[in-house]
Amino acid sequence: MKAQGPHPNAEPDSTPPRPTRRGLYALVGLAGGAALGAWSLGASSSGIGHRAHRLRPPGALDEPDFLAACIRCGRCVEACPSGTLALTGLEAGLDCGTPTLEPREVPCELCAGEESLLCIDSCPSDALGPVEDLRAIRMGVAIIDRSLCFSWQGTVCRACWHACPFPDGAIQLDWRTRPEVLAEACIGCGLCVRACLTEDTSIAVVSQADFVPGQSTSTGEGAAL
Amino acid sequence: MNKTLRRLRPWTWSRRLCAAGFLALLLVAARGGPPWIVGSPNGTELLGLVPFTDPLVALEVGLASRTWMGTVALGAGLTLGLALLLGPVFCGWLCPLGLLLDLAGAPRRALERWLPRRRLPELRFPREIKVGLLLGALAFSLVRRAPVFAALSPIQGVARVLLFGVEAALWVVAGLVLLELVAPRVWCRSLCPLGALYGAVGRRGLLRVRIDPERAGQIRCQRCELACPMGLRVMSDFSLRGAAFVDHPDCTRCGACTEICPNEVLRLGVREAGGRDG
Repeated sequence: MKAQGPHPNAEPDSTPPRPTRRGLYALVGLAGGAALGAWSLGASSSGIGHRAHRLRPPGALDEPDFLAACIRCGRCVEACPSGTLALTGLEAGLDCGTPTLEPREVPCELCAGEESLLCIDSCPSDALGPVEDLRAIRMGVAIIDRSLCFSWQGTVCRACWHACPFPDGAIQLDWRTRPEVLAEACIGCGLCVRACLTEDTSIAVVSQADFVPGQSTSTGEGAAL
Repeated sequence: MNKTLRRLRPWTWSRRLCAAGFLALLLVAARGGPPWIVGSPNGTELLGLVPFTDPLVALEVGLASRTWMGTVALGAGLTLGLALLLGPVFCGWLCPLGLLLDLAGAPRRALERWLPRRRLPELRFPREIKVGLLLGALAFSLVRRAPVFAALSPIQGVARVLLFGVEAALWVVAGLVLLELVAPRVWCRSLCPLGALYGAVGRRGLLRVRIDPERAGQIRCQRCELACPMGLRVMSDFSLRGAAFVDHPDCTRCGACTEICPNEVLRLGVREAGGRDG
């Protein structure tokens, strides 16, 4: 056989194109990437409704630092013994694949029965950092919607107070057994949110960044959450 | 390698088994089984001791967070070290998306075997796009402080669907599987920024498709080129030009060309000590 030059089937593909052409192709890639980036930015700033920030696992850095440091490996989700944590999906844009929690469904049980917080132990990056004490956790702050809360509407309830890991610390009852959240002591685990007996929860956890001091005392603020 | 053995395509099947085993162990650990390999392609831990990090994810996170994270850096050092030593073997031997696209290409390959010219028309895109995507991902991570490949990688997407039940990623993965019918391995060949990084680092790795100079050019059947999942012109660009091995950043050392070669020109093997190839 005496084939000279490329085979008839050969496609001019893996031969390196001229440097200028290669640069141009790489630019196409860059432009495509920029478009994707722009889309994902849009998705991450819109897809989460009125709540500006997601709730994060214990020990999480502040949101911008957390998003920069999290490698989105999902090991915290796998390590979580209570099945609290879940990964965000593509609708979260650039936040896709980060751990979050929905305390009305499954709150953070603070690894009850374990020796340490397993999500923090499993994290290979600095996204979840060590906490000295459970009281130092700041996943968010609980706020109460008094217009819904049984106790504030005149019935004795105390479900949130019973569920709180720090009763009389983070949730206090007044002389009429009406609950109040002490923002400085609340760690944002959401155990109260799951325990709340009203059909639409009258206690919700908002992230530290979304918390406005005094919010828990005003009526109706938390209704949309 | 003798002919009967070669017909069984040992490299292809050990590769598929290896990638499937990796994914299976991740699944086992995620479902509460023995934690031999815990995590997902972005970051895993072997036997509770050795961390591995996707090197592109690690670079992105380093640029975005501007902090030195020991475990992440060690994990990336190990994966990059493996690529530097052996070549971009992650792509063919471990990547779950690679495995999926490999299997998704089966209908097309079956159809091609049945066709007289053994070739369906295919869409091809320039390989350099992925280099642009790699640079873009790094620049974006630095400027916007958001690791974009870590978030949106379809490699991780496969893991998210299987390990964490994140359904949204399913659409991207399904799209790539459908694309396989008209544009085989378009993700691996032209788009994957991780592959671009591994290729750049691992091009001269010791595991190579070596070319026997004595036998090269005796039969110009070009089957290697039809077999190459990355669409490299193994014969025209390398064996006929007297190359000692397939020296291309996109060669993933999958061995497909060596199994198909009727003249035993091509062999997958480790470069001999003393620097001689072939």
